[in-house]
Amino acid sequence: MPGLPGADLSALLGQVARGDEAAFRALYDRAAGQVLGTVRRILRDPAQSEEVMQEVLLEVWRTAARFDPEAGSAAAWIMTLAHRRAVDRVRSEHSAAQRELRAAVHTVDYDQVTDAVETNLDHERVRRCLTTLTDLQREAVTLAYYQGYTYSEVAELLGVAVGTVKTRMRDGLIRLRDCLGVE
Amino acid sequence: MAAGRPTRPGVTDPHTLVGAYVMDAVSDDDRVSFEHHLAGCESCQAEVRGLREATARLAAAAEVRPRAELREQTMQAAGLIRQLPPVTRERPEAPAGWRRAWLPRLAVAAAAVFAVLAVGMGTVMHGAEHRLDQARGSSHAMAVVLGSPDATMLTAKLTSGGRATIVMSHRYGSLVFTASGLPALPSARSYQLWVMRPGGPRSAGLLPAGPDGRAGPMVVSGLARGDRVGLTVEPAGGSARPTSRAILMITLSA
Repeated sequence: MPGLPGADLSALLGQVARGDEAAFRALYDRAAGQVLGTVRRILRDPAQSEEVMQEVLLEVWRTAARFDPEAGSAAAWIMTLAHRRAVDRVRSEHSAAQRELRAAVHTVDYDQVTDAVETNLDHERVRRCLTTLTDLQREAVTLAYYQGYTYSEVAELLGVAVGTVKTRMRDGLIRLRDCLGVE
Repeated sequence: MAAGRPTRPGVTDPHTLVGAYVMDAVSDDDRVSFEHHLAGCESCQAEVRGLREATARLAAAAEVRPRAELREQTMQAAGLIRQLPPVTRERPEAPAGWRRAWLPRLAVAAAAVFAVLAVGMGTVMHGAEHRLDQARGSSHAMAVVLGSPDATMLTAKLTSGGRATIVMSHRYGSLVFTASGLPALPSARSYQLWVMRPGGPRSAGLLPAGPDGRAGPMVVSGLARGDRVGLTVEPAGGSARPTSRAILMITLSA
């Protein structure tokens, strides 16, 4: 079972769109931890991550009426928003120097999906599915998703051609999708 | 991708970007070109949908527990933000609301400061009803400025360190001022905000500063184009005229 149960979350979003504050509270309880975790992996700075987490939740509040269930699950909608926001923040505000520092201390930490609240099913399953990827696929996916690098940066970090990184990212995600059994 | 745009010779098939695209691992140019491609390619849209569900699971696996106080702060901030209406068939969606994308950030700052003020007033200003009314009035004025369709935001660095964020509405001749990262002042000093015009400076009041380097939000009204807004450090209680060099000076031209 995914951490953000699909049907429920989608229904909550509908209520939030109608200005239901109790529903927004419930949605916060469901989503804030995952938003914060994702954002923090990219930004690293805890204070800034909390700020972005709140921005994301408020953006969900503001734009809930624009959620289109046809285009994907509520969880995917929220997490897409969160990831994009974190990446935008890191690319616009972090100076070149900080980017370099990040690159210098980068570690491929697919199996350190560890500061999770507790060992949850998602964590276990994702970790297991990540091991079904080739090394290059896994590194390309985790560097991009968990650390917010662009494919050119990933190519640079891994010393691989840009075209190769693009295809590995796609193949890796496809394999992950199939392993996780999401549609 | 049969329905996609034909690939021009010498240009890489944009579809190879689908993985990088759903992970935001693309440049802005890449994104624009991929979204062009996506608009005409139904199978690509389906692939994007599926891969996004996979990335959502990556996100789920990264869950951590947020600090408890963030919850109430976020709820309060939501109260300051007007929700977008749904898109209807008669009124197609305007190009994404990017202009307002900063709003949540400001509301978070505002709510955080409100929380500090509320606690401060509850303990120190116990029974001082008029102060609470004042705070409520200012919160209304703030909502008006933030909600105004012509609201624009600017941010500026303070020479003392820290950053000011200002949301200005020319329609209402008002702005909301907040700052973060302000150096703490000795108790004998305060931050004071000024409106400067050719006729001389006018005090806009002392800037309420929180313990964490955040200050404001403060509403300044009665503004006109060409006015300048300045921030100085003054003796506690404030001055009639600025007595020190401004650590911020902004001209309201936009």
